[in-house]
Amino acid sequence: MDNMQHFLTLISSITIEKPWGIDIPNYFWFTGSSAAAFIISSFAHVFGWKKYKPIAGVSLLMAFVLLVAAPLNLIDDLRQPGRILNFFLYGWEDFPTSPMKWGVLLLMAYPILIFFEAQALYRTYFVKKAQNSRGLARVFNMLFTFGNTDLSEAAMEKDHKKGYILGAIGIPLALAVHGYTGYILGAVHANVMWHTPLMPLIFLASAMVSGTGLLVILIPLFQRFLSERKKVDRDMVATLAKLLSWFIVADLVMRFLWLTFSLTFADGEKYALYQYFSLHFEDTLWIDYVLCLFVPLIIGFTKLRNIPSVVYFGGIVTAIGVWLFRWNTVIGGQEIPRTTPGFSHYTPPMYGQDSVMAVLSNWGILFALICAVLLIFPWDEEMQDCYEGVENAK
Amino acid sequence: MDNQDNSRRSFLKKGFASTAFAMLATTGAEAFSLQIPGRDKKDPKHIGQVGKHFVMVLDLRKCIGCQACTSVCKVENEVPHDQYRTFVTETEMGEFPDVRKGFLPQLCNHCDDPACVPVCPTGATFKREDGIVVVDNEVCWGCGYCISACPYDKRYFNKRTKTADKCNFCAQRVDKGLMPACVETCIGGARVFGDVNDKNSEVYKLIHSFSTSVLKEAQGTHPQTFYISLDSRIEELFSTTQSLDDIVKAEEGFKSEWEKTRAEAHNHG
Repeated sequence: MDNMQHFLTLISSITIEKPWGIDIPNYFWFTGSSAAAFIISSFAHVFGWKKYKPIAGVSLLMAFVLLVAAPLNLIDDLRQPGRILNFFLYGWEDFPTSPMKWGVLLLMAYPILIFFEAQALYRTYFVKKAQNSRGLARVFNMLFTFGNTDLSEAAMEKDHKKGYILGAIGIPLALAVHGYTGYILGAVHANVMWHTPLMPLIFLASAMVSGTGLLVILIPLFQRFLSERKKVDRDMVATLAKLLSWFIVADLVMRFLWLTFSLTFADGEKYALYQYFSLHFEDTLWIDYVLCLFVPLIIGFTKLRNIPSVVYFGGIVTAIGVWLFRWNTVIGGQEIPRTTPGFSHYTPPMYGQDSVMAVLSNWGILFALICAVLLIFPWDEEMQDCYEGVENAK
Repeated sequence: MDNQDNSRRSFLKKGFASTAFAMLATTGAEAFSLQIPGRDKKDPKHIGQVGKHFVMVLDLRKCIGCQACTSVCKVENEVPHDQYRTFVTETEMGEFPDVRKGFLPQLCNHCDDPACVPVCPTGATFKREDGIVVVDNEVCWGCGYCISACPYDKRYFNKRTKTADKCNFCAQRVDKGLMPACVETCIGGARVFGDVNDKNSEVYKLIHSFSTSVLKEAQGTHPQTFYISLDSRIEELFSTTQSLDDIVKAEEGFKSEWEKTRAEAHNHG
């Protein structure tokens, strides 16, 4: 390859377009973390693992807010956001071959499903809240009961069953809502970095890592500062840290398969990928792998997981690390040349559409939504009941 | 209580039903389309010239890299500043004193099995019956999937229309019996355009009397722009990774690059 440069010098060419900017890795991170939070909530709601019961409700709410905030990135990325209706009206001929077409349907179905599951989970708490409040607050809380104020055992059993069914449908839906994003990239055969059937699985594995990393930070924060208990469940933190490590193992296996095949056994494309990873070898190795994957892996699998502050550090670096991985994949893939020699570069603009500020605003919306659901949903009482249930059982 | 529940429920049901009906009634039956309205209405500019199949032959023995095609294309198609539907890559080959210039005119390949068309979520980009791949810039919502999907990097976001844009073989001229602007202006006669189904056409004769090749055949897109005398070393250029932008970045430094990007307001808007 270097020899080639020796006798071929490019004099003029056109800098190519990079259609997908900073919004897209951010969007992928949001949907992925949402899917992970949903799966973790399903540990209790569907698989019946009692250990995860106290955090199942909050995880479900986090899955909801992440997925409500995520599509805003996509709308911001559109050059003609006013034509969003065209997506729904036209082009259904391309449905079998355009993963983007599947995605928007999933993006609409999934948050609705989570909302109904959360409603089933919290209905009885809303009934109690409505009974203890008056005026507008009473009307507001009554809205979430869907008019069903029955507090009998039979009615609660019915809620439970509804939650179970919705959770069971939700698992494949959650996997699909994030898996399709990997599919979008994997389907692009023009892009040597994206084009692998492993891409949806790599995305799902790293999503589980970022979502768990996020919950490791958020749940203790809620418990310490926003709940009646006012204390962090250290056992839960350790449990999540260990879970995180297992997800990191899955992620590493996927990446190992991907990189070993595409860098060694692929056809012509391997040269470009090899060059790309050589150029970014140091930062990828030390930041993406050592700091953001191996360090949290060790934390979760050793006694270090019993020290909450160490676990929080692990959670933060994995969440950041997966964001960087999304960035490196989406932006890095587009930097690899297709018809021009040399890697091109993308620097996100500071302001405007698809900019640093747009992504920060999206995070602002996420935190506003978190505050809203924590205010509206009686998550604290439910979590308290779960803990009492566990303690009584002991 | 039960009665109240029922009345609320029936109210909601009626509400949903009437809203859904109102939405359907106002959008009308033709609003939902497997394709796009222009194709449903058989608009001639969407259907193209049935029975013909347009291709381009680029005879590199005759290209001198004058960029007349590049400039006339911008004028004909009102392509915004700094954006191009076609251009000629210019290279230097060999080592002194044994050197020569290499030119590679590039444009949309109007592939028979395009990578860009099947991924379009709005149906805005499609292949006409005469093989020309076009974009309806009144439907495109600017998601960029087609730009990502094109192995030839021949699509871009038009700054003016804010939609995906690319070479359309000057369909607006071809439908009136004219040649594409680049073909008409090519002083060396390197660009030849026509209907390959017509055995008397120049493109038919060229394709059948010379060996031709296409770019990136392995992508499986069956390009319909054929090159005569394509030097494989020029194609190699596509996969060399010497970074021009890296050199610029080293020269200017990160900060000035950031400022440049900010000044442009949007990297790809």
